[in-house]
Amino acid sequence: MSAVKSDREIVTTRVFDAPRDLVFEAFTDAKHIGQWWGPNGFTTTTYEMDVRPGGAWRYVMHGPDGTDYSNKMVYSEVVRPERLAYAHGTDDDGPPLFHATVTFEDRGGKTLVTLRSIFPTAAIRDRTEKEVGAIEGARQTLARLAQYLAQESK
Amino acid sequence: MNSDRLSATFAALADPTRRGILARLASGEASVNEIAEPFDISLPAVSRHLKVLADAGLIERSREAQWRPCKLKAEPLKDVADWIEHYRRFWEESFDRLELYLKQIQKREKKHVGRKK
Repeated sequence: MSAVKSDREIVTTRVFDAPRDLVFEAFTDAKHIGQWWGPNGFTTTTYEMDVRPGGAWRYVMHGPDGTDYSNKMVYSEVVRPERLAYAHGTDDDGPPLFHATVTFEDRGGKTLVTLRSIFPTAAIRDRTEKEVGAIEGARQTLARLAQYLAQESK
Repeated sequence: MNSDRLSATFAALADPTRRGILARLASGEASVNEIAEPFDISLPAVSRHLKVLADAGLIERSREAQWRPCKLKAEPLKDVADWIEHYRRFWEESFDRLELYLKQIQKREKKHVGRKK
């Protein structure tokens, strides 16, 4: 489930049927994270994963069309097995594209994961420049968005 | 499409009153008085919200008609919706994959434990 909670913040949650230690490990161990990270059809190659405050995860995502996306995450907070905070950017010296926190809560042997991302303009620009489509889709999208807004403003 | 416009759209959407106004305009154009009616706020306050929405390109005010109706504009909303959709897909699909993966490795662990016994 995803929702826009405030200006430029998006919150995604999911309950996983696995103990919290294991879910946390799946997010912080290179041998695990490459197995699930990214949308369908993407694979991930990790070059470095150092999950400590100030440490980084450097990786490349390989898209289904062959395009490579270099990424670098720099961790600012690591509280095992409860919480991660990081700045997410591309693998160069540019500013991070967004900041995110991930929390892991025990729910009777299952684990609730909550991901909060706050996006500055650079990330938004990069995504949207690629994605601005024709106006044709607008009516359909608007109907969906109106529904979404109605839920949000309740 | 520039980043400033999308930021302005997000900022405009961050306020519940403004989302309410957009939801109202989704069902057709309306005058300021009509828009203000369901909200417990003054007309000048409504006008300020309308200005934010207009600056973000989310609504348009007619110059011709005497009552200057407000009308919803779809394009910036589409940009936001597209962007959210892209982001949503990334995480929904990643989480689907993680769910499967966790299932697999827990099954494997159980097998190992079983063999040791």
